[in-house]
Amino acid sequence: MIRIQSPLLRWLLIGLALSISIGLVVLSFWLVRLDREVRTLYAGVRWVLPAQVYAAPLELYPGARIKLPELKRELDRLGYRASDELTGPGTYVLAADEIRIDTRGFAFWDGVQAESRVAIRCDDSAVSAIRAMGSDQSVDLLRLDPMLIGSIYPSHSGEDRVLVKLADVPPLLPATLIRVEDRNFEHHFGVSPIGILRALINNQLHSGKKQGGSTLTQQLIRNLFLTNEQSYGRKIREALMAILLERHVSKDEILEAYLNEVWLGQDGSRAIHGFGLASQFYFNKPLNELRPAEIALLVGIAKGPTVYNPRKYPERVKERRDLVLRLMTDGGLIREDEREAEALSSLGVLNNVAGGVERYPAFIDLVRRQVKGLYREEDLGSEGLRIFTTLDPRAQEMLEARIIADLPGLEASRKMKADSLQAAGVVTSVEGGDVLAIVGDRNVRYPGFNRALDSQRPIGSLAKPFVFLAALADPGRYNLYSQILDEPVELRQPNGQLWAPKNYDRQLHGTVPLFAALAKSYNLPTVKVGLDIGVDRVHDLMQAAGLENPPRLPSMFLGAINASPLDVAQMYSTLAASGYLTPLLAIREVMTKDGKPLSRYSFKLKQTLPEGPVYLTTWAMQKVIEFGTARWAVSVLPAGQKFAGKTGTTDDARDSWFAGYGADRVAVIWVGRDDNKPVGLDGAAGALRIWGRLMRDLDARGIDLAPPAGIEEVSIDPQTGLRGDEGCAGVVLVPFLEGAAPSDYASCANAGQSSPLEWLKDIFR
Amino acid sequence: MSLAERITPAVVRRVAALLAVLALAACVEQPSVSRPPVQEPVTPAAPAVPPPRAPEVQPPLQPPPPSVKPLAPLAGYPKSLAASGAGPAVLALARQAQESRSAGRYDAALGQWERALRIEPRNAFIWQSIAETQLFLKNSEQAESAAQKSNSLGRGNPWVESANWRLIAAARTARGDSAGAQQAASRAEALVAAINAAQQAQAAAAAAASSAAATAASPSP
Repeated sequence: MIRIQSPLLRWLLIGLALSISIGLVVLSFWLVRLDREVRTLYAGVRWVLPAQVYAAPLELYPGARIKLPELKRELDRLGYRASDELTGPGTYVLAADEIRIDTRGFAFWDGVQAESRVAIRCDDSAVSAIRAMGSDQSVDLLRLDPMLIGSIYPSHSGEDRVLVKLADVPPLLPATLIRVEDRNFEHHFGVSPIGILRALINNQLHSGKKQGGSTLTQQLIRNLFLTNEQSYGRKIREALMAILLERHVSKDEILEAYLNEVWLGQDGSRAIHGFGLASQFYFNKPLNELRPAEIALLVGIAKGPTVYNPRKYPERVKERRDLVLRLMTDGGLIREDEREAEALSSLGVLNNVAGGVERYPAFIDLVRRQVKGLYREEDLGSEGLRIFTTLDPRAQEMLEARIIADLPGLEASRKMKADSLQAAGVVTSVEGGDVLAIVGDRNVRYPGFNRALDSQRPIGSLAKPFVFLAALADPGRYNLYSQILDEPVELRQPNGQLWAPKNYDRQLHGTVPLFAALAKSYNLPTVKVGLDIGVDRVHDLMQAAGLENPPRLPSMFLGAINASPLDVAQMYSTLAASGYLTPLLAIREVMTKDGKPLSRYSFKLKQTLPEGPVYLTTWAMQKVIEFGTARWAVSVLPAGQKFAGKTGTTDDARDSWFAGYGADRVAVIWVGRDDNKPVGLDGAAGALRIWGRLMRDLDARGIDLAPPAGIEEVSIDPQTGLRGDEGCAGVVLVPFLEGAAPSDYASCANAGQSSPLEWLKDIFR
Repeated sequence: MSLAERITPAVVRRVAALLAVLALAACVEQPSVSRPPVQEPVTPAAPAVPPPRAPEVQPPLQPPPPSVKPLAPLAGYPKSLAASGAGPAVLALARQAQESRSAGRYDAALGQWERALRIEPRNAFIWQSIAETQLFLKNSEQAESAAQKSNSLGRGNPWVESANWRLIAAARTARGDSAGAQQAASRAEALVAAINAAQQAQAAAAAAASSAAATAASPSP
């Protein structure tokens, strides 16, 4: 043993020296590789930036139809704070007769709307004056910043963030972050030996509880590149990578990356990353409007957003926040008296998630579908595109409020169990095809089945205007006063079955003028006219109005056509726009994350229905409300204004529809049950109630009654549908396509027997 | 009933009035600006509107002064966006759109006109500007559609309509539809001719009125 001991020792020493050398060589190689890895990894850091979705901005100008309380409501929704004086962007002062606003600046697609201080006066219906404060200058037009209503984030990671630049965040935020998380940040080289030592000892003593001790750089490395596994190997790797990263990247860059990377909360499957989004998520305002206490809260919860969830554990979070506030004072970041004042404030965290997909799920769903064909899925989830939409938050909230408020009453009226009804609704503009509001569930925040887009239900009598439109487009055969005999119709269907529709009231009404058959929604005259005009013609007009693939069966005259509320809105908006089809759009513009315009989506327009007959059909649809099936609406719609619409009811009253329009708004409402059981509500008793009040709430404008070119108005004797004059009782002025008015006078007319034309004809006969 | 029985004094008066109206209609045919003389160029073979459409014209008891009828429409129609009753917000957007257009940023101009449209969706001048901008953007179909829409809302405004038909002609030319372009151009020309005729008549009437006023302070008829 002894004999070989000495050479062994020698060999051991040689071996040791060798392995150290080899070890050092390996270590250097490893370090070089790690360095390269850090550099490539960091260079490859591409923030997962979900597309941000914005509502349409509120345009304010003299004449804009908004009242002071509504304007205040709008500002509150945007996260503006009411105060006694304007203290910066995002604040407002509500005075007795005006509202003073310090607006936030915003980079829009077509230019920057600068921050401005304005005073806005309203009368009882609209903005009457806008004045730039500090001058007597009046302002013609002002855009508020648009509301962020959600993001389109990748479903697999659920990472959502709003990117911020260090230069743009309030300096108190990074200063506080450094103070709380990594006091020595400005001076260390990536790791803090003292911190590590302390953490090591602590972790040995309390094996269950892990203490940080890692620098902001290390935390960033861990969040960006490593798993959350706790092992010495990983710790060493993390420390070395942090040191290497600091060699390549400035402190500011590291800080900025940290501000954007850190996880600060959870919203269902959506992970809230970065301070930019967290500020919106918790306080519904941009970072630079945060008070010290709010900054303290965000920095405080970075330690563990699950444990420090301010919505769940407000007391625990307040303790943490106040601790951070004290650290701020210790560090000289805020004065003691400021701290005291701030510590008195409540958390200020909004209970409801502001923005987010949860707020307007049905609308975001439509946006998601419309952008799907335009951008790649991965770009939508990661490129930080900014999508500007057509959503009108005011219209949206009015639609939501109506559905929420009116369904219980409808259930009670039919002695139904609470919550047994469902509803969906769509509001669009008449011109330009803007989708302004969508509700797909009576639980308006529920991101589930979107009835406005996906429920395909028979549209019932909503189909009738297109039957009569087809008839009125044939002026040689039909006009509004064509006398139609209401009589039984029987038809052998292609499948051999006999089809014998009935009127809704199971009665026959003798001879009725065409427009009254529509106003009263009589089935048999509709079928008669439809058969006379032909299935193909009606089919073609429905298709021209924007309905995809309508069936070619006589039963379509009575609405045996499955369509969604959005489909119906498309069809009816073509009628509302005088026969011009504009595909409904939810998106207007897309910008890159840097605010560069990427694409704009202009509406497309094409005249697909003849203007004159559409005008006549709209005239008849006004009668639906004046004295037809929807006359209830007269009680809620503004007096003296005309609206056009149609009730829709399907077999056994399973679906209750109403679709209609004024000069600037189209609205479609569906009420029914998911199990398709009868609801006992026809269109008038159900959907119409919501529609009528909604149009009133929307302050929708009545139809422009001036007839277009090619229409003449003729006095008609309502009894016969022939020309009438002062000799007839109650003549009415009725529009006709030029040359299509009846030439004969009613017997009551003074001119009846001796009209010059008749007389001339007689001479030449 | 015999013819003689029918000829009552009332009928005689009516016939006289009718003939007067017909004669008048023939005189003022040319300056009738609300309807372009080229009625429907696509189907020239179709019979024109039946000639004696007199019953719609309420038989007036006395013939109206000939100068009033063709001039009233021209006077009532705005010639420009500014005269159309557009609000300051729309005019501000129009200025922005004009700037964008001058800078060659047609897409931005279109966006600004669309903003204006959301404020005044039934303003024919805004639709016309959209048509014009779409033409700059080489979207000739959209240009034609928007010009048609402008015509629909123009309610017979000859200035709006003549400019729209010129835009439609340009749009059709851009699409290579020279026949269609020719038809649209002739509609525009006819409207311009009608405007000129009406303006001349107006000037003549004004001159006549002023000379009448100058010659005599005689009692009015």
